[in-house]
Amino acid sequence: MKSAEGRGRTLDEAVDVALIELGESRRNVDVRVISESPGETVVEVTVIDHSVAPVIGTAAPANGKAETARSVVEGLLKHMGVRAQVTVRTAADPITIDISGRDLGALIGWRGETLRALQSVTNVMLGKQLAEGERVIVDVERYRQRREHTVREIALRAARQVKMTGDAITLDAMQAFERRAIHLALQDDPDVGSSSIGEEPDRRVVVGPRKPETS
Amino acid sequence: MPGRAAAERIRKAIALVNAVADGAGDEDLTPTEIAEAIRDCLELSEIEQGSNVRKYLGEALDAVSDGMPADFVAMTLYAALGALGESRSGS
Repeated sequence: MKSAEGRGRTLDEAVDVALIELGESRRNVDVRVISESPGETVVEVTVIDHSVAPVIGTAAPANGKAETARSVVEGLLKHMGVRAQVTVRTAADPITIDISGRDLGALIGWRGETLRALQSVTNVMLGKQLAEGERVIVDVERYRQRREHTVREIALRAARQVKMTGDAITLDAMQAFERRAIHLALQDDPDVGSSSIGEEPDRRVVVGPRKPETS
Repeated sequence: MPGRAAAERIRKAIALVNAVADGAGDEDLTPTEIAEAIRDCLELSEIEQGSNVRKYLGEALDAVSDGMPADFVAMTLYAALGALGESRSGS
């Protein structure tokens, strides 16, 4: 997997340096902050491998469930009159089904609502074939993956600001999977933590200084 | 706009169910809270008696009571939202 290190005064600058070296755009990469200090931020930028998706129609050899899920999604799209490619994202845990094609905006819907509904229907249809707690993720044109990357970047930027100012930052209202991405992005940060406030669907993540553990 | 309050309440119920399904790990939702959110939708007078919206909401409430998976409840609520959209575009 192609990756590059970037250095800059700010997170944005560091990412941009790495992106120029890789010749990639932001939507195609994953960013990991290596170190941060008031004067310099160092990041590792890794290109997301879009080529790993198997060819349509071929079963994922090691995972019959994934192939069943792919068939279910393909069938649903056929009934909906949507022409698209349906593939299984390899090495993805949980099982992730990618839908790609032209003009699939309607399949994503307002704030990803249609996509989320499609995922619910898929999981209900797979029903007993999935183990307890196991779920299939459905993604259209990597919308969900891009959202996760975006919120992760927002989280890292907020964390950096919190470290500089010491003040907590309340982010915009987000869906559960987006909040989860933020909590995971900051879980290993020794100085900054995240929590959520408010009620659905206006629940927001607060990024703030980590409180010292009381013993 | 008629139906707007209903759409907002159904979306709230969906968000609660999705939060359970997606497991953000930052809240502890109980079936009672989800059932309350669905009952809030059913209390709205703008949802007509005998309409498909009410039917799907009733089914979602039953699904919560029966301990059905979150995705099943979500699917039923999406159906209610869809039926609401149809009734609004038809009126």
